[in-house]
Amino acid sequence: MRGKRHASIAVVALILGVLLALQFRVSSEPQPAVASGERARELTNDLSELRKEKNNLALDVADLEERVMTARQGIAQAEGAIINEIEKHRVLAGLTAVAGPGVEIILQNVQRAEQPTEDVALFAIRDEELVRLVNELRGAGAEAIAVNGQRLMGTSEIRLAGPFVNVNLTRISPPYQVQAVGDPVVLHSMLELPGGLVETLRDWGIDVQIEVLEELIIPAYQGTVRLEYARPYKEGD
Amino acid sequence: MALSIWVAIIGLLVGIAIGWNIPLFIPAAYGKYLGIAVLAALDSVFGGIRAAMDDKFDNVVFLSGFVGNALMAALLVFIGDRLGVEIYIAAVVAFGVRLFQNLGIIRRHLFKRA
Repeated sequence: MRGKRHASIAVVALILGVLLALQFRVSSEPQPAVASGERARELTNDLSELRKEKNNLALDVADLEERVMTARQGIAQAEGAIINEIEKHRVLAGLTAVAGPGVEIILQNVQRAEQPTEDVALFAIRDEELVRLVNELRGAGAEAIAVNGQRLMGTSEIRLAGPFVNVNLTRISPPYQVQAVGDPVVLHSMLELPGGLVETLRDWGIDVQIEVLEELIIPAYQGTVRLEYARPYKEGD
Repeated sequence: MALSIWVAIIGLLVGIAIGWNIPLFIPAAYGKYLGIAVLAALDSVFGGIRAAMDDKFDNVVFLSGFVGNALMAALLVFIGDRLGVEIYIAAVVAFGVRLFQNLGIIRRHLFKRA
């Protein structure tokens, strides 16, 4: 009886010792902070809320990405349109070489027997004839015109400089070759109109050859375009 | 009987030696359970010593008291954790009060003897 009682006390004391030692070790060793139950619940709530928020934001992201995609497509289309427009204006301005059906006119001074009483210069082709010819072509709907390879643009001049003709500040000399892209039939008939320009020129003794071409190439303007004074004007400026 | 005190002290020392060396590790989250278990064991040991000195020691009562108290205290900690109320303090107070009562009685027995 007595031995049993001491054994019981010893066993319980032993367990107490083990527990005490464990407790000491636990509290003496540095522990990672472990969340208590309440804190854990709080964090779980936070987590689920943040998950919801994240899902919502992911949806937002998808939505916005879609919008960016459509916007990009819009940009591509707009870019295409702008490039087309630029190309058109470059053609109109004479900054690109163009090809198409049209007519080619060659003007040449007639070789005549040298007569001492006549002044050769009187019978030479002057700038005026070229200007009238170009004007006539434009009137007939020519879309691009070049004189001796000099593309005519909005600011091009055709004027006499001494005994020569200058186009785009470049001297050209006979025979003059005028190329025009446009409706070949209209251009040709306009030129060959009875009592028209070509007849008049021929009456003056200028050799005029008109050739209708299925395809001719008109070169681009070779100089550089610089605007020093003109600037775009908008209403309300 | 002063012998029971010595038995208890020797058991305690051996237990500490074992506990210090076994490769067992209890997560800090269970620190509360461990503390209450320590308290229950302490209460039982003092109760047992006191009963031995009063010559009223009953082995069954002693062991069932130890196991029962420890389980009850653990249950209180568990419920308290779930409810957010620290019910286990009831066990701490009860064990603490009894601990000092038993200590007082043991002291009186020892001085009477001396």
